[in-house]
Amino acid sequence: MSCWSCHGETVASTPFCGSCRRIQPVGRTEDFYSLFDLPREFALDVPELERRFRERSRQLHPDRFAKAEPRERRLSLERATRLNDAHRILKDWRLRAAYLLKLAGQDVFGDGKTFHDPEFLEEQLEWREALALARADGDGEALLGIAARARFRLASLEAEVAALFEDQEWFSETVREIARRLSRARYYDNIIADAERG
Amino acid sequence: MARAIGIDLGTTNSLVAFVDPRNRPQVVTVDEGRPLLPSAVHYAPGGAVEVGAAAKRQAPERPVDTILSVKRFMGRGPGDIRPEDRGISRFDESGSVVRLVVAGGQQAVTPIEVSAEILRVLKRRAAEALGGTPGGCVITVPAYFDDAQRQATKDAGRLAGLEVLRLLNEPTAAALAYGLDKQVSGLFAVYDLGGGTFDISILRLDHGVFEVLATGGDTHLGGDDFDRVVAARLMETGLAPRTATPSPAVLRGATAAAQKIREALTTEAVVEAEVDLPEGHRLSARLTREELEALILPVVERTTGPCRSALKDSGLPTVDGVVLVGGATRTPLVRRHVRALFGQEPLADLDPDTVVALGAAVQADALDRGGREDVLLLDVIPLSLGVEMMGGVVEKIILRNSTIPASATQQFTTYADGQTGMVIHVVQGERELARDGRSLARFTLKGIPPMPAGLARVEITYAVDADGILQVSAKELTTGLEQTIQVKATYGLGEAEVEAMLIESIEHAEADVTERFVREWRVEGDRILASLESAFELDGELLAPPERAAIEERMAGLRGAMAGQDYLAIKAWIESVDGATKVFAERRMDKHIKKAMAGRRVDEFAGEGRTTREGHEEGED
Repeated sequence: MSCWSCHGETVASTPFCGSCRRIQPVGRTEDFYSLFDLPREFALDVPELERRFRERSRQLHPDRFAKAEPRERRLSLERATRLNDAHRILKDWRLRAAYLLKLAGQDVFGDGKTFHDPEFLEEQLEWREALALARADGDGEALLGIAARARFRLASLEAEVAALFEDQEWFSETVREIARRLSRARYYDNIIADAERG
Repeated sequence: MARAIGIDLGTTNSLVAFVDPRNRPQVVTVDEGRPLLPSAVHYAPGGAVEVGAAAKRQAPERPVDTILSVKRFMGRGPGDIRPEDRGISRFDESGSVVRLVVAGGQQAVTPIEVSAEILRVLKRRAAEALGGTPGGCVITVPAYFDDAQRQATKDAGRLAGLEVLRLLNEPTAAALAYGLDKQVSGLFAVYDLGGGTFDISILRLDHGVFEVLATGGDTHLGGDDFDRVVAARLMETGLAPRTATPSPAVLRGATAAAQKIREALTTEAVVEAEVDLPEGHRLSARLTREELEALILPVVERTTGPCRSALKDSGLPTVDGVVLVGGATRTPLVRRHVRALFGQEPLADLDPDTVVALGAAVQADALDRGGREDVLLLDVIPLSLGVEMMGGVVEKIILRNSTIPASATQQFTTYADGQTGMVIHVVQGERELARDGRSLARFTLKGIPPMPAGLARVEITYAVDADGILQVSAKELTTGLEQTIQVKATYGLGEAEVEAMLIESIEHAEADVTERFVREWRVEGDRILASLESAFELDGELLAPPERAAIEERMAGLRGAMAGQDYLAIKAWIESVDGATKVFAERRMDKHIKKAMAGRRVDEFAGEGRTTREGHEEGED
């Protein structure tokens, strides 16, 4: 790859040209992890992610390019946007898990697909009933309790998903089990939002 | 030297600031020797336009032609303006944009043009202070302003001949000023209660990076609402002659009186006043601090919801500090409420009136220099952006509190064979149904190649830039054709209209820039002379003959300057007169002040178009 400005050699995945330091277009080989130089796995040191996010933002944010030429401004906007998107996805374990699956070619939630999970149906009905009852009674304590229980379930799901990702051999079975838990996590998030709506 | 400036364009007052060569942010004196320029614009029949305290003084006698709180109308379309915001202004909502009918019915101006008048004055004062035209500027907006309100603010800046480098959220600006001044790190909440808007932002400050984690607010909640409830109560029992439906003029007068009384109650336990209102009405007011607090408590409590939501969105249980911004936060009840909400004493050691402008100046300086080592702002979009899908449901594509700049793409396909166009409706807000959200833009994508239904693949990219404004682009994937989309805001000025207004204003500006300065300073000179004459009549006995002679000598000098064409000379004489009358003003204050239970003429005490020059009343944002 050659730099648009000085025509020197550039490495595809770095934001700035090695010779003239001008900002470069986003490379094809970059995924969200490489933006932060983090290993492509589910386990993530979130504080470290935050630190690197702030550090890279310093270099790439459009504010740094307010007086630069239009091309650089456009490139910085693209890169900063991508950095922000990457940060948002990696920070949240559910989004991170779905992203890892997508990277592996398993877009389980793409195009609005929903996961078919008949065993979960009964539990879903129980939760809905408990919520409806607590609401009808105006029972604030019960609602808080429901939210807390849902959070507890979420924490368990996260641990299960982490364990599944450690399994080196990614059978389609593993992928399906991860997807199942992500789908259930979404459900619990809705329950929590509902219960805390107040 | 073209220095960048920061502007706080507030509902009640506006300010401009810059960073001086010693790296210190400074506000500019803009109106009658003070850094606060009341956001008031008066349009006289015949074309003269006044801005600031002079305009505000016209409000009691010419209320329809004096626009106050224009910020409440920015980015609002016909039918959007709330009844309680309309006040006494006359609107023309017959077209696609809202216009205010002023100048005795001769002119109809858009809120953008009104705001531009305010910005022009700030620009001019900054130019005087800096010794040259300012470079780029940063204008602040409430964090909770939506896309249309932001766009309108940018347009106003352009119309005023400013190069708007960035729109900055007010709480973020305040955090910036505070963080730099105090050199702190940690998690901070900024509680910003202005004249018309409320914002709450939660930020992480870390080695010069100011990262907004969550933001919330209410664009129709502020000190003005305190004044409304107080005025309503005072009129219930104290208005003579009694009337169940006071006219807008009477209402406005009562609200102004309410504001003075409320401010006085910050330091006094009880205030009594007799106020003359328009149309032969009179208000007898007596209010204790307890009564005031009972009245405004429901308004203050409206800030609780957004604060709780923002904390929840940030994922944090608590913060290290709460910074107060906005004049209304001086109210003791508000401070107690903030302490209760956040479990700690709020930080109020920076001037809540100037902190936003100072922060804006720092950001302007940073942008001007292509970045500062000690400053990086990472802000967020305050409201989710979504697209209306079949059935009127909103699909959210960029969630609220996403760090900006941000983008998202969506793929669509055609529903009918041979379909060549598509209408996309973008909505802002958290509601489920499109009709409950804020309609942002409706655009038509044309030129899709005719194909069987379901085959075309249209990719739309939504991008929110660093100003928090939406940009849209589209690509048809099967053919690879990129389309330019005309994003027309569902109401508001189109690009061509803004261009036209800009050209018109430039044409006029070149011609009458000096003439206008002279005219404005003459008007100011007249006011000062008139008020001094009146003061001599009322309180002449307070001056010894030589003292009075000294003042009159300066007044003569002022009259002489006013006859000429040198506005700087007029200005200098005004300052000279001002300096000479300070002692007189103090003696007058002493004579007229009675503590606590005294019957006080509120308008005299506040200086609204009457006897003395206005004292140092700190306004509210």
